[in-house]
Amino acid sequence: MTSAIVSVTGMSKSFPGVRSLDRVDLEVARGEVRALVGENGAGKSTLIKIIAGAYRPDDGELAFDGRSTRWSSPHEAARAGVHVIYQELILFPDMTVAQNIFVNDQPRNRFCLIDKADMRRRATAILEELGSPIDPDEKVRNLTVASQQLVEIARALKSNAKLIIFDEPTAVLGGHEVDILFAMIARLKARGVAVIFISHRLEEVFAIADSATVLKDGKLVGTLPVKELTQSKLVSMMIGRPLADMFPPKATSEPQGAPVLAANDIWSGPKVKGISLALHKGEIVGLAGMVGSGRTEIAHALFGSAPLERGSVTQGGTAATSPDPCQSIARGIGFLTENRKEEGLFMLQDIAVNISAPILGRIGSALFLNRTAERMLARQQIAQYAIAATGPNAAVVNLSGGNQQKVLLGRWVNTSNTALILDEPTRGVDVGAKMEIYRIIRELANRGLGILVISSELPEIIGLCDRVIVIAEGRKTGELTGRDLTEERVMELAVATGGAGLPNGVAA
Amino acid sequence: MTPTQSTPASTAVTRWFRRIPLSLIVVVALLLLLTVTGTVLSDRFATSRNFLNVFQQAASLGVVSLGQTLVVLTGGIDLSVGAMISLTSNLTSGLIDGNPDRVLPVVIGVVALGAAIGCMNGLLTHYLRIHPLIVTLGMASILQGVTLLYSLAPLGKVPQEFQVLAYGRFLGVSIGGLAMIGLFVLAAIFLHFTRTGNAIYAVGGDPRGAHLMGISVARTLAIAYGLSGALAAITGIYLVSRMGTGDPWRGEGFELASITPVVVGGTILAGGRGGVLGTLLGVYLISLLNNLLNFLDVSTFYQWIIQGLIIITAVAINVERGRRA
Repeated sequence: MTSAIVSVTGMSKSFPGVRSLDRVDLEVARGEVRALVGENGAGKSTLIKIIAGAYRPDDGELAFDGRSTRWSSPHEAARAGVHVIYQELILFPDMTVAQNIFVNDQPRNRFCLIDKADMRRRATAILEELGSPIDPDEKVRNLTVASQQLVEIARALKSNAKLIIFDEPTAVLGGHEVDILFAMIARLKARGVAVIFISHRLEEVFAIADSATVLKDGKLVGTLPVKELTQSKLVSMMIGRPLADMFPPKATSEPQGAPVLAANDIWSGPKVKGISLALHKGEIVGLAGMVGSGRTEIAHALFGSAPLERGSVTQGGTAATSPDPCQSIARGIGFLTENRKEEGLFMLQDIAVNISAPILGRIGSALFLNRTAERMLARQQIAQYAIAATGPNAAVVNLSGGNQQKVLLGRWVNTSNTALILDEPTRGVDVGAKMEIYRIIRELANRGLGILVISSELPEIIGLCDRVIVIAEGRKTGELTGRDLTEERVMELAVATGGAGLPNGVAA
Repeated sequence: MTPTQSTPASTAVTRWFRRIPLSLIVVVALLLLLTVTGTVLSDRFATSRNFLNVFQQAASLGVVSLGQTLVVLTGGIDLSVGAMISLTSNLTSGLIDGNPDRVLPVVIGVVALGAAIGCMNGLLTHYLRIHPLIVTLGMASILQGVTLLYSLAPLGKVPQEFQVLAYGRFLGVSIGGLAMIGLFVLAAIFLHFTRTGNAIYAVGGDPRGAHLMGISVARTLAIAYGLSGALAAITGIYLVSRMGTGDPWRGEGFELASITPVVVGGTILAGGRGGVLGTLLGVYLISLLNNLLNFLDVSTFYQWIIQGLIIITAVAINVERGRRA
């Protein structure tokens, strides 16, 4: 291709003990949208960091815009026209939109002072070009995640980006926001900007990309036009073996007995409005809805980490009007929060400490902990859940996302014999690890736990859950099982407005 | 999904009003409350003579707090300002030693020294990756040691004319107080209208992000801490002007006192949010408070207690705001 904006040949990069990238080739044309897929650890991040100047390659050629180059810093790459929009956005929440767009090259007047009027005008022009009504004087902290992404895109466009790399941009977005992002990417493409798009959601690859490059274990598996690909072919390229079945078989029998976890017309904060639901022994129930629809808040209310204003929850047969996390844990309820780094794991501690944290009382005597027992327990769970780590003493921060998630699952399984609430259990986790997590979740359900799964990924909700409750604007808009459980039905209910929707408790 | 909700009713004015940080409103409210209380409790408090006095007295706290604000905005803290004031005050009077010809070179030299030591604080923090609390605490100890090696007692004196800085009046208003306001105005322009000023907010907001955006974190920290050092040196010089001589313990307590107006004024310790206007109001709040308590003949220890309560209250209100936003 003569119109290649970026071309990588024989790129290699090693880190102590790991060959992260092994003679990889990649070429992306102007106006092309390229999906970059592969399991975690496949080398995607290393590759984009080399293209963006954050890493220096050990070996290999990088040509950008027709010239062979080797960046000395990310800033140099950015000036040449390479921009990366990381999943964790580089934004300054207390600065305005305009200040964020021009954070590194504010327009200045002849006194060398920042020309705020000009800055605002140019920011507005770029935002308009992106079709966005964001106020350039608004503080970024007050924007939604989707709008924040847009600010980053605007920043890239401002400096004449020729290649924009999106690192899992949709992991933090709700369904409708993804559509907006994709429309934005289409605009970029139309302007001749090349896009490299990393995602774990394969349906997105088919929705937006022209072609896909698959990496595995640091090596290039291949690059194919999306037209010639199917989802199962892509997955088998990624995991290096045919895709048997992403999801374990669903429960065959109807749930019986009293619910192990239930909400009885609960109200909590602005996002939980009269929710009733019941979770039985052995079943996996999905909680679906747009990001911001109140799914996470319902989970917090059920667990007791957010106060109930009205209503009550039933935990393992005991009703409570003001549940609290300690009680919930004591009643065998576990809660895996959506952001494992902030609200779940002790990142710098080792696996054993993380697993034993909620059950310290059970390990050792009243006064002293039995560290040997703690390590034993950790070793056992590392084996049981196939956690890829050197051992119980491995620091959690060094594990991949999927393995971190398994550590958290391991932790809660020890304390929970009643019910587990899993908020986005596979966020940022690669396909292989996802399948393992699905298997573990089903196994736990088969052992008699009731499991409530919150997920933004519709295929996951539909493939994994026995029953799905759909939430829109803090209200329950429906419940789906069996043959009714389709993406279309879930979406319909997810966009139904709470006020005009179905009354609570109506099963579809 | 609209990124920012703009109802037809929201005019430019209400939007502008909404953007005033709550912390500023709180400080202004506290200032008003204090003034009303003072007027009721003491007939000497609400006089122009007293206000002009407070305006003059606030100058030293103001200048050192201004430097502290710049550092706190980067997400750091400068605990070396107290020792810096001690060092520079005794050095100034010791070197001038009553000789009017030496005033200018010594003042310039001392301010440059403060800036250089401050820069070093910033660079050490950055390159050694040590928390600024530790770096500046260590630096404070070093500076205090040097000060005491230089002299154990107040040293030298300054010419009578030198005291114009502290006691001079322009149209009845303290020159020192006006100079302090001038520094605040310059700092506001610096923060909001220069790239380096914006970089201070960016580094305070997210140092890694700032680095990735091509902002030199080392340079930004060196400038912020350098300015803090220079402003502490100016405070030291100002105090010489006020007292007529230096003192190896002159700056004691300023390291913490300088933080109070900053946090009361709404600059958050995590960095990236706040500004010098809040600090200016915070300085007047603390100065007026101490002034009133003096009038009421309240023990200094009560002044400490009340000051502590104000810090915690003001910051608690700001945190609440942060949660809602």
